[in-house]
Amino acid sequence: MTQATEQTRSHDSDVRYRTVRNTAAVAAVFTAIFTALLVINLIGSGVVGPWRENRLAAMKLQVQKEPANQELVAQVRQLDLKIRRDRIWRLDFARKATFMLLGSVVVLLVAGGIAGKMKNELPRPQHQPDVGEMQMNEAKRARLAVVGALAVLVLGGLLVAMSGWVRFVQAEDSGPAFATAEEMRQQWPRFRGPGGAGISAYANIPTQWNGKTDEGILWKSKVPLPGRNSPVVWKDRIFLSGADPNNRQVYCFDATNGQLLWTCDVPTVPLPKDKELNIMEDTGYAPSTVATDGRRVYAIFPTGDVAGFDFHGRRLWHKNLGLPDNSYGYASSLETHEKLVLIQYDQGDGTEGKSRFIALDGQSGKVAWEAKRETPNSWTTPIVVDVAGQSQLITVAKPFVIAYNPATGAELWRAECVGGDVAPSAIHAGGLIIAIEPYSQVVAVKPTGQGNVTKTHVAWRMEDSGPDICSPASDGKYVYTLESGGLLLCCNVEDGKKLYEMDLKEECRASPGIVGGKLYLLDMKGIMHIVQIGPEYRETAKCELGEECFASPAFADGRIYLRGTEYLYCIGKAP
Amino acid sequence: MTRWARIILFTSTLLVPSLDAWGELRFPPPEFESGYQFPQTTTPAARPVVYEYIDAAVLLAALSLATYLILKRRSRRAVYVLMISALLYFGFWRDGCICPIGAIQNVTLTIFDSSYAIPITAGIFFALPLVFTLFVGRTFCGAVCPLGAIQDAVLIHPVAVPGWLESGLRLGAYTYLGAAVLFAAIGNAFVICRYDPFVGFFRLTGNWNVLIIGASLLLIGLFIGRPYCRFLCPYGVLLRHASRLSRWRVTITPNECIQCRLCEGVCPFGAIREPTGDWPRGEYKIAKRRLALFLLLLPVLVVAAGWGGYTLKERLARVHPRVRTAERVYLEETGKVEGTTDASNAFRATGRTSEELYQEATAIRERFALGGALLGGFLGLVAGGKLVTLSVRRRRTDYEADRASCFACGRCYQYCPKERERWKQGKEAVAGR
Repeated sequence: MTQATEQTRSHDSDVRYRTVRNTAAVAAVFTAIFTALLVINLIGSGVVGPWRENRLAAMKLQVQKEPANQELVAQVRQLDLKIRRDRIWRLDFARKATFMLLGSVVVLLVAGGIAGKMKNELPRPQHQPDVGEMQMNEAKRARLAVVGALAVLVLGGLLVAMSGWVRFVQAEDSGPAFATAEEMRQQWPRFRGPGGAGISAYANIPTQWNGKTDEGILWKSKVPLPGRNSPVVWKDRIFLSGADPNNRQVYCFDATNGQLLWTCDVPTVPLPKDKELNIMEDTGYAPSTVATDGRRVYAIFPTGDVAGFDFHGRRLWHKNLGLPDNSYGYASSLETHEKLVLIQYDQGDGTEGKSRFIALDGQSGKVAWEAKRETPNSWTTPIVVDVAGQSQLITVAKPFVIAYNPATGAELWRAECVGGDVAPSAIHAGGLIIAIEPYSQVVAVKPTGQGNVTKTHVAWRMEDSGPDICSPASDGKYVYTLESGGLLLCCNVEDGKKLYEMDLKEECRASPGIVGGKLYLLDMKGIMHIVQIGPEYRETAKCELGEECFASPAFADGRIYLRGTEYLYCIGKAP
Repeated sequence: MTRWARIILFTSTLLVPSLDAWGELRFPPPEFESGYQFPQTTTPAARPVVYEYIDAAVLLAALSLATYLILKRRSRRAVYVLMISALLYFGFWRDGCICPIGAIQNVTLTIFDSSYAIPITAGIFFALPLVFTLFVGRTFCGAVCPLGAIQDAVLIHPVAVPGWLESGLRLGAYTYLGAAVLFAAIGNAFVICRYDPFVGFFRLTGNWNVLIIGASLLLIGLFIGRPYCRFLCPYGVLLRHASRLSRWRVTITPNECIQCRLCEGVCPFGAIREPTGDWPRGEYKIAKRRLALFLLLLPVLVVAAGWGGYTLKERLARVHPRVRTAERVYLEETGKVEGTTDASNAFRATGRTSEELYQEATAIRERFALGGALLGGFLGLVAGGKLVTLSVRRRRTDYEADRASCFACGRCYQYCPKERERWKQGKEAVAGR
């Protein structure tokens, strides 16, 4: 049955030639259409557009002459809108049509090229298969086409696979929603460490380093934005914040090598027209130290923006508490209690009812409780202390030391015993709350009362010292205060009796820390004065960082973290 | 001048009018407070239900009439008139909605979402053409479908698409069907409606990108008969398979094929199959081995494609608006993007926590794991099945319309001399009466 015949093949009878020729023809039609459309669009942009704009300019001049002519104003608005719409539409159209034109040209060139080549081939005698063979070849080509289509699908799948997607990194919420008290004691979770006492849980802290020669410096990393807040440490992560007038950021550094692991922006809301951000240069735009509950980290800024983040840098929530009315700029740091974020938000002069204490749920940012306060703007950081097995939240602001139940916000007691613009925070030492009235006195209050304890629970007052910025430190036996002019004073916890005073002769902004039996005093030049704890002054070492310092030191296992004006330093011995 | 220089010069010249496409939009801020008052949002009243029943009745009547005209009357002219009428009613008058193609999604959502109740008309529109096709072939495609009609109406110079190429291109329709079902079932997205290429013409307005796609299809449709119906229509896939089982169907000749070959190549949709020839010598054994190979390959393809679909779950899930919003909110909250979008602002206004949103998005992604695997497996099955069917040789002795591919448009009738003889006899009978 199979009977091959030899015959001459003409180009037009070749289905492949017809296919590419017709494809080229269709592409040519598309090319012509899109070219024409683009030319029309270009003419429209070049002729109609400028003509309308000239008309608009003339009408605007006319409006200046006839400001009361509302009809003309309406016409100007309409024409302005029309011009804007027209520009957007034409630009959008031009972009899309250009892509279509490019596609058409590519198809035209490829198909035209192939058709040209095929046409140039001389017709040659060809074997004419019979019907059965043709159908077999057709089926073969069809199978190849299916395989080709499958390959296209696979390619499409690969392209889809190459597109990005967002992995929702889960917060470290496994287990309890906050770290235990024991875990907190091992870390440096807030300004001045656990309980705000400035006491390290570790005794193996370096006593010798030199930032200028890099001796004892494990690493130093540049902090992107400035800030006078102190580092906070949780295991292998170090948190701090930075800001300028336009940006607020929270940083997480890797404690092992100083690498900046993540940076998170904190948004804000536009200021009301009648308000402006009034912040002293000494305060800066990021004075408040961040705090962590071991699962999340929280930050607050003088704009009233407070936010919570997980340890992977995911912002969990953000709130703007309203621009605080604060004469030098809001600077109180955050405290945490279990999963609550505690914010002392004192404002104004105390008579306008603006001040309040706010507790936010750390997981959601929702308000857990809120307490009104009759105190004016203050700069102290609240502390949560354990008094006979009960947690007390201690706040200091003129004229009160007030204790609250940190879980509910219920007031426990208050003592009217401090005045002035209070910035040093209180500490809990020797069973007493030690508070400071700047330029005036140190006051000790027994935290065991209820209601107003002014007349019954003030244990002692010591009027020889009154630091205006630095918070005190105590080992439970002695209390140390450091004035910003560098005057160090030591007194007994028990009765407030002054034991000695020593002028370091350096300006100081950082609060002192206690490690083992030593007192660490950092001056503004970055020199750490290490002093033996005791009734007499005895300096054991002096270490230089080589950079100006305002922030208080953070202590971890075998390490000190210091924040200079530009760099974050890790001081310790290489493992 | 070299060839490449000529090509570059030609392309560059053509692109001259598009130079302004790369301009930046820089508007000066308005110089006045507009005082514009946003108009109050109004919602048009719902269409009376009675019209939906009228639509269903019209569909039933049109299908019945189409069946009569195609199978009994065998009149292409009458079919064309009905097709244009359907285009005007279901297309331009009813704005292309509701249609059986989109109704696939309603039916899918009814199956997968217990909270969704399918409108009865959507159910009717989905089922009626399928039922008719099961009995009389694709009369819906030939005379009632507005999408088919608009393409049929612009077909002026049919160019044959090689049969082998059509086999490959047809995979597009299966992909579209699979994706549409998946996205309707899990993705909360009706992609068939969103990307309906012709609805913009019916409504005389629409998304610019979709209008371009529609215009391109119509331009291609000037030469290639019904490109959407043949290579993309997801409902066409269902009708193809239903039509294979049809009790009655289009026959080119009214009684007996005389093998005159006059109808050969006249179908613009490539639906006429010629009689098969004999096996070339030695081919039978090779064909048997090939068939066995493809049969073995079929489950491998299904599993491999299913696994491929599974791995794409996160990407496929992005079609779901909740997942897109979650991703956006996450990027905003981790500081990886600046600014907010309407969707992220709307989410925050709900007061829900982002954690809840992420959990919801993660759950949707997990549903897409199964959905993606099923979609991949389906496509693997289709491709493998096609390789198998293309390896099976069927016997045909006459020229006949392919049961699956024939749109029942009635074009081929006039080319059959037996049909002309029948007309002549009919006219004579009428004249003699």
